[in-house]
Amino acid sequence: MNDVDQTAEALLLVEDLIFCYPGAAVKALDGLTISVPRGQVFGLLGPNGAGKTTAISIMCTLLRPNRGQLTLCGFDALKEAKKVRSLIGLVPQDIALYPTLSGRENLHYFGRLHGLSGIELKQRTEECLNLVGLLDHADRAVETYSGGMKRRANLAVGIVHQPQLLFLDEPTVGIDAQSRNMIIENLTRLKESGMTMVYTTHYMEEAQQLCGRIAIVDHGQVIAEGEPQQLVADQPDCTNLEELFLQLTGRTLRD
Amino acid sequence: MKQFLATFFKDLLILWRDRAGMLVLFVMPMALVLVVSLVQNNVLEATGRAAVKVLLVDVDQGYVGQQVRQRLADSGGIKLIETVEESPLDEVTARQLVAAGDYQFGLLIPAGLSDGLQTEVEHQAEQLFRSYPDPEEQNEALELKVKVFFDPTVQGVFRTAVLSSLRHAFFGLETAEKGRELSQRLKQYFGSMKTQESEQQLLGGNAFMLIDEEPAGGDPALRPNAVQQNIPAWSLFGMFFIVVPLSGALLRERQEGTLRRLLTLPVPYWALWAGKTMAYVTICLVQFCLMLLVGKYILPLFGTPVFELGNQVSAVFLLALSAALAATGYGLLIGTLARSFDQAAMFGAVSVVIAAALGGVMIPVYVMPKGMQLISQISPLAWGLDGFLELFVRGGNVQSIGSNLLSLFGFFVVTTLLSLLVFTRRGRSGG
Repeated sequence: MNDVDQTAEALLLVEDLIFCYPGAAVKALDGLTISVPRGQVFGLLGPNGAGKTTAISIMCTLLRPNRGQLTLCGFDALKEAKKVRSLIGLVPQDIALYPTLSGRENLHYFGRLHGLSGIELKQRTEECLNLVGLLDHADRAVETYSGGMKRRANLAVGIVHQPQLLFLDEPTVGIDAQSRNMIIENLTRLKESGMTMVYTTHYMEEAQQLCGRIAIVDHGQVIAEGEPQQLVADQPDCTNLEELFLQLTGRTLRD
Repeated sequence: MKQFLATFFKDLLILWRDRAGMLVLFVMPMALVLVVSLVQNNVLEATGRAAVKVLLVDVDQGYVGQQVRQRLADSGGIKLIETVEESPLDEVTARQLVAAGDYQFGLLIPAGLSDGLQTEVEHQAEQLFRSYPDPEEQNEALELKVKVFFDPTVQGVFRTAVLSSLRHAFFGLETAEKGRELSQRLKQYFGSMKTQESEQQLLGGNAFMLIDEEPAGGDPALRPNAVQQNIPAWSLFGMFFIVVPLSGALLRERQEGTLRRLLTLPVPYWALWAGKTMAYVTICLVQFCLMLLVGKYILPLFGTPVFELGNQVSAVFLLALSAALAATGYGLLIGTLARSFDQAAMFGAVSVVIAAALGGVMIPVYVMPKGMQLISQISPLAWGLDGFLELFVRGGNVQSIGSNLLSLFGFFVVTTLLSLLVFTRRGRSGG
């Protein structure tokens, strides 16, 4: 599964990140450290409140950590945020699109913000719409799309500028099996094209299918990291990733 | 620049597709200005120009009634109604009609008033020409009362205006009667060379002391009227209502995660901010132009005076631009501070209504109590309205509205900086 050389230079290097929301008693991130080599799909798994979205927000330069290092494509992301932003893409948990604009208009707008224009913008828009299977619905307002179509449009906008590193924050949440399958297929194709991805999800089978390496995060720390099959194999009483996950993070509800 | 333009056109497109938002932005202020101007035009006419209907019950059926009819008809301010549904009015019916609010005033000339007036005038004249006037008789002057009854809902200023007209008519009648009697007595005592016509001219002719009304200073072509005042007032109100859709749009971007995505893009935040601001400023200016067109072409169809833009078009545009910037800045601040749509819509709308009331949009500032006049100075709508009235009514120019322009632009700068400050602080802390 893992066809990426772990010893290769890391595209994303996160070291000892600490972040605490103002007024919060507990740190959201407490020394989080991960390394993602170029071309790898890295899964960030964890229960609700484990710190996954906070980690993604810091890696996308949305939040500044209280402490730690963040290097992306060789740039210090905490000092050169603007350079880093042109290299990354984000597919957020929310449908972060303008609902009254069509799928094509949304792609055009975000593409323009990434500096695309003219034929290049048009070409990239068509390619992305085609990839996510929305070419036939490109001129419909996003608000008329089904949940799955919205998720696919959300993905298309995240990749319109061909980022070197794509962050996906639970991109398949709340959609039917068909749409989920299509998104996984799209992501597999992007993976095959060599795109590096950091992927958070609650669906273990997705992580197992897509990710070359995963980190299980809880209380803002990495509690296990490795190739999915290897992690399962290392625990003799676990037969799959979900059992391992529950064993490591416990069965207590996290609200 | 490309990113600024992309955001500018994106926001215009979103606004264009938001039918409910467009209704709030364009139809509501136009409907408001239409209704308020027509209503106020009618009020102005009721209190000044067109005749007010007053029920007349003339029990006396004598000389006083004839004279009062004549004098009120000449003044044009009051129209006397003596029959309702083809039946002559009596006191009871007239009182019922006024009490029910069907008419606002009733005038009762009691029986014997004409005779009483004649007797009293003759009596006073006799006293005047008597060699030794009786001081006791002098103090026994008759009180001849005419009754006026009014609808209790009629407000003070309107009531005072109608009563003044009636008093004016009765005072003129009494003076004329006294003059006529005096003239006859003079003729009896001294003889006279004057003709009957010249005597009538002196006693009952047209007044030769006239009141000439004109605005103090400014362009005489710009006549103060309801339209000249309401168009700028309600245009400003409509422009500031941009707060509701703008703050809603900002909240939507925040709550739906679009802002989160925008902030991960290699775009300076000022470009997104400026693009959005300019889109909403453009909408405000289009709204303003539409309001001017309503005043120019639609209101006159309902009988109001035509709105006159005057010859300071560039100053008008500059002031409209400053007001649009101020309104947009306020919308940005509300959208940044509010935590929910309800907060933004409620606080935004209510604060604009309060600022409009304070700013003289609904009631002119000069009729407010002294304390409220002082408070009104903090309303951006007051700065804008004062500027527009300076241009539309007082015939001012760009120099004379300098302080208004600066105040509005300063308000835009302060609100924008505040919202950026709040936004940056929240962004850093993840709040």
